[in-house]
Amino acid sequence: MSLQFIAALVSSVVCLTIFRVWSILPAGKHQKRHPKPKRASCTLAIFLGSGGHTSEALSLLQALDFERYSKRIYIASQGDSLSISKAVELENLKTTPGKCGGYSVITIPRARHVHQPLLTTPPTALVSLFSAFYHLTCSPFLNGGFNSRPFADALILNGPGTCFVLCAIIYLNKFIGLPAPELIYIESFARVRSLSLSGKLLRPLVDRFIVQWPQILDDQGRGECSGWLV
Amino acid sequence: MKVFVTVGSTKFDALIQAILSDSTLRVLKKRGYHRLVIQCGNSAHEFVNFVDGDRVHKVEQDGVSIEVWRYKPSLKEAFEEADLVISHAGSGTILEVLRLGKPLIVIPNPTLLDNHQEEVATALSELGHLKSCTPSQLPTTIEGFDTTSMVPFPPFDGNRFQRLLDEQMGFV
Repeated sequence: MSLQFIAALVSSVVCLTIFRVWSILPAGKHQKRHPKPKRASCTLAIFLGSGGHTSEALSLLQALDFERYSKRIYIASQGDSLSISKAVELENLKTTPGKCGGYSVITIPRARHVHQPLLTTPPTALVSLFSAFYHLTCSPFLNGGFNSRPFADALILNGPGTCFVLCAIIYLNKFIGLPAPELIYIESFARVRSLSLSGKLLRPLVDRFIVQWPQILDDQGRGECSGWLV
Repeated sequence: MKVFVTVGSTKFDALIQAILSDSTLRVLKKRGYHRLVIQCGNSAHEFVNFVDGDRVHKVEQDGVSIEVWRYKPSLKEAFEEADLVISHAGSGTILEVLRLGKPLIVIPNPTLLDNHQEEVATALSELGHLKSCTPSQLPTTIEGFDTTSMVPFPPFDGNRFQRLLDEQMGFV
């Protein structure tokens, strides 16, 4: 009897989990667009993936109206002080004190270091996951509960590795019914015909999947192209 | 006229070897490039091995004055002063050089794994924005390069991303 009960319990939990995940995934091949009530401003989070990823991410921000995106949260990998200083440089260039809101910086341990053996990757990735969980889930929840605003209204991702960790934590938020930012992925200018690994992983998960060369979309998969963005 | 060569943040021995070969130096002189500046990074070559730290090494060879250094915080000035840029095919460097309107020859670095330098170099050369070649093709590429025939690269258009984001966030 108890075995049957456990089997029934496990299968219902599995079914409910699958249903929940299915219900929070972006709808099919189409990009989700939210006709939202007009608001004055919102908060933008940007992952700076170091090197070329950081340069491209900051180029995307260059033309944005910082009075509209009135708070910027830069997420960088621990130890990547170069990315942070580039972000600060952009802020100093673009903002006049007191007018464009402010910005803050979050650092998260890398999911995988360059040349790190695959065998030791799981524990490193786990540390990274916990840190993202703290910043993106716990901290906003402690500040406002289920009715709190998400840690940001939109999260911009353009690779590499650690951005998948951030996306996973956002999905955890969605899964348990916490507010979550819009997820926007922009594939690198360097990717002409094929997606990067983070591009492949995030393609079905993000609200907007954007590439910079139309050839990539020849596979009829999800995504859109508006030409070069950087 | 002045040529600036950059290998980027790592090293690219084959590019340094190709640019310092007798045949390349001959072609440079023939085309009127009498000054050659090389950012060699960590590349190894008998000619650059003793270039250290901030030191600039200068020498004259085959009628071309050559200046070699390893790194500088910004290459912008070097790009601006150049009449021709020869570079690895990193997309950041490509964008910077093309936006300055400088003639560009790129050599994709085959030793970098999964970096897709080849892909972006080929695509942009098909569009006529730059020339792409292998290290051994460098002399003939320089010799046949008509810098006036290059298709101008469009300027940065930040409105595209702004439009996408505004649309997603309900501002438009």
